[in-house]
Amino acid sequence: MPRFTTVALVAGAALLVRRAVRSRMTTAPLWPLPALDEPVSGYGRGSTVPRKVVVTGRATPAEGVVELRLEGTGLPSWQPGAHVDLVLPSGLVRQYSLCGDPADTASYTVATRLIEAGQGGRGGSREVHDRLREGVEIEIRGPRNRFPLVAAPSYVFVAGGIGITPVLPMLRAAEAAGADWRLVYCGRSRATMPYLDEIEALGGGDRVSVVAEDVSGFPDLGFLAHVPAETLVYCCGPEGLMDAVTAAMPEGRAPRLERFSAAATTGGTAFEVELRRSGRTVQVAADRSVLAAVREELPGITYSCRQGFCGTCRQRVLEGEIDHRDELLTDAERGDSMLICVSRCAGKRLVLDL
Amino acid sequence: MSNTQPAPVASEHVELKARKVSFDWDATPLHWVPGDPFTTHTINVLHLLLPAGERWFVHVYKQALPYITDDRLRADVIGFIGQEAVHSQAHDDVLPHLREQGLDPTPYTAQVDWFFEKLLGDRTLPPGRPRRWWLMERVAMIAAIEHYTAFLGNWVLNADELDRVGADPTMLDLLRWHGAEEVEHRSVAFELFMHLDGGYRRRARTWALAFSALVFLWQRGVRFFMENDPSLLDGKASFGQFVRKGRQGVLPSTPDMLRSIPRYLSRAYHPSQEGDTAQAMAYLASSPGANGGH
Repeated sequence: MPRFTTVALVAGAALLVRRAVRSRMTTAPLWPLPALDEPVSGYGRGSTVPRKVVVTGRATPAEGVVELRLEGTGLPSWQPGAHVDLVLPSGLVRQYSLCGDPADTASYTVATRLIEAGQGGRGGSREVHDRLREGVEIEIRGPRNRFPLVAAPSYVFVAGGIGITPVLPMLRAAEAAGADWRLVYCGRSRATMPYLDEIEALGGGDRVSVVAEDVSGFPDLGFLAHVPAETLVYCCGPEGLMDAVTAAMPEGRAPRLERFSAAATTGGTAFEVELRRSGRTVQVAADRSVLAAVREELPGITYSCRQGFCGTCRQRVLEGEIDHRDELLTDAERGDSMLICVSRCAGKRLVLDL
Repeated sequence: MSNTQPAPVASEHVELKARKVSFDWDATPLHWVPGDPFTTHTINVLHLLLPAGERWFVHVYKQALPYITDDRLRADVIGFIGQEAVHSQAHDDVLPHLREQGLDPTPYTAQVDWFFEKLLGDRTLPPGRPRRWWLMERVAMIAAIEHYTAFLGNWVLNADELDRVGADPTMLDLLRWHGAEEVEHRSVAFELFMHLDGGYRRRARTWALAFSALVFLWQRGVRFFMENDPSLLDGKASFGQFVRKGRQGVLPSTPDMLRSIPRYLSRAYHPSQEGDTAQAMAYLASSPGANGGH
């Protein structure tokens, strides 16, 4: 008899619990787990999905130069000096500087000069000119920035030909920030130099010197020997021009250069990394990664892919200017952190929170 | 430290490295197993659990790394961390696509985020024994979960029925790339657990926890998807459907799943005894997503 009562009680209780749970689940199907206030999953970086854009505009801002408007949805914003990789229909991947409005998340603008095979062209610009017609869909990667505009009271920009593309958004930003700037813009002839009108209007007369080879020969860069210490010098153009600017700089100072040749993007310069929490400093040689140098001091540091896509080696940066070379971090994350397996220092010294 | 040391199958060991992948979801329909929402959503639960779950693996393993005294195992764990980080990103990138198709997973994923980041996250524990105990408990849970990811990976590599019914090739490639890497690194989590602790009682206890949690989260994930699928009027999920689809071969079969339980609990278990590394490597060599993208 007591056993019967126990069984009946347990069965009754079980039935009641079942009914209560059922009714609770109908009103709130995801009861009883709590949720994280700010969900993380599903709002990632999209780093494993190709970003596609459609060519929606084509213009010819100068002889031999085509300007493309690339439209997409939710494109990341960028900073002056940034570039994107274009995956061309043939599979070739080429880098082009963004020259539109950095805040525009619906479209990017790039401009390409046609370089014929006879002049050392490798086929990328020919394909852009011939095949990227309106309506063509292509994949892009990035944007990334290896040529960042650092805040300064004054700037000197030297651009050669199509090298004006990363410099153009810099001019707009410098003007908007009220900085003192000047531009030396050289090219073969005025007809081949894109965006001249806009630049001359921006400069208002005395800030911009246009040096067209057919009229005035090569630019006189002698003034660079006397640029004050707080003035930053940016240069993008043919190798010869960048070498000339480097040579014209005062002793011990280097211009900031944007190069797109394959060799120049893999290497780097030597610099120093301070590990603030451990109180140690390591030297990073030109041909080594920050990770390799840091591992000698801190062998337990975490890393994995060593190619800048898994994100395991991300570290907080306390001081110093970062040369981001990864494909993963968002602009916001790039503000104060880096992937130490591939990214480097744009100056002489980095301070890591390690 | 350990009371048993089951022998790994030496030929099944390969050097692990993370692969960069790319999957384009634009052409993938909501029901990517055509006409079979139940199978679609049962497999879709992976996208709900794995982003947070695999991020948690990485988080825990980063803490376990300093305790490893074997160089080869450390190299394996480093490779494992990178692979898991990329898996988490790849599944995470499917979720916006579901949202675009009218099936917002956020109510569910926010709970999974809480589950892994809070419930199984770093607790405020005094340093020393308590902290190490909680770390070992989580390392053991990961070993148990990896038993199932390797089981599922092996299953999906051999699930020819999914090709036959015309499942979406991009989604199949994601699953098989992921499955192949799970098979490739299937020994790492277990070896790490044996290296750091290896206690049988902990192994059995954490298996029970991990298994119950997986069943609990999975069934409510399927129900969540079926009830919120905008194209289904009265979507229902049931255990019977699961058994039937398992028999058909588009889902893992229930008897197979039951048989895998005693294998993990056997004292002679080693993950390298199950699955085929050569098959996994062959798939990885030909996977479109892992070789330049779709």
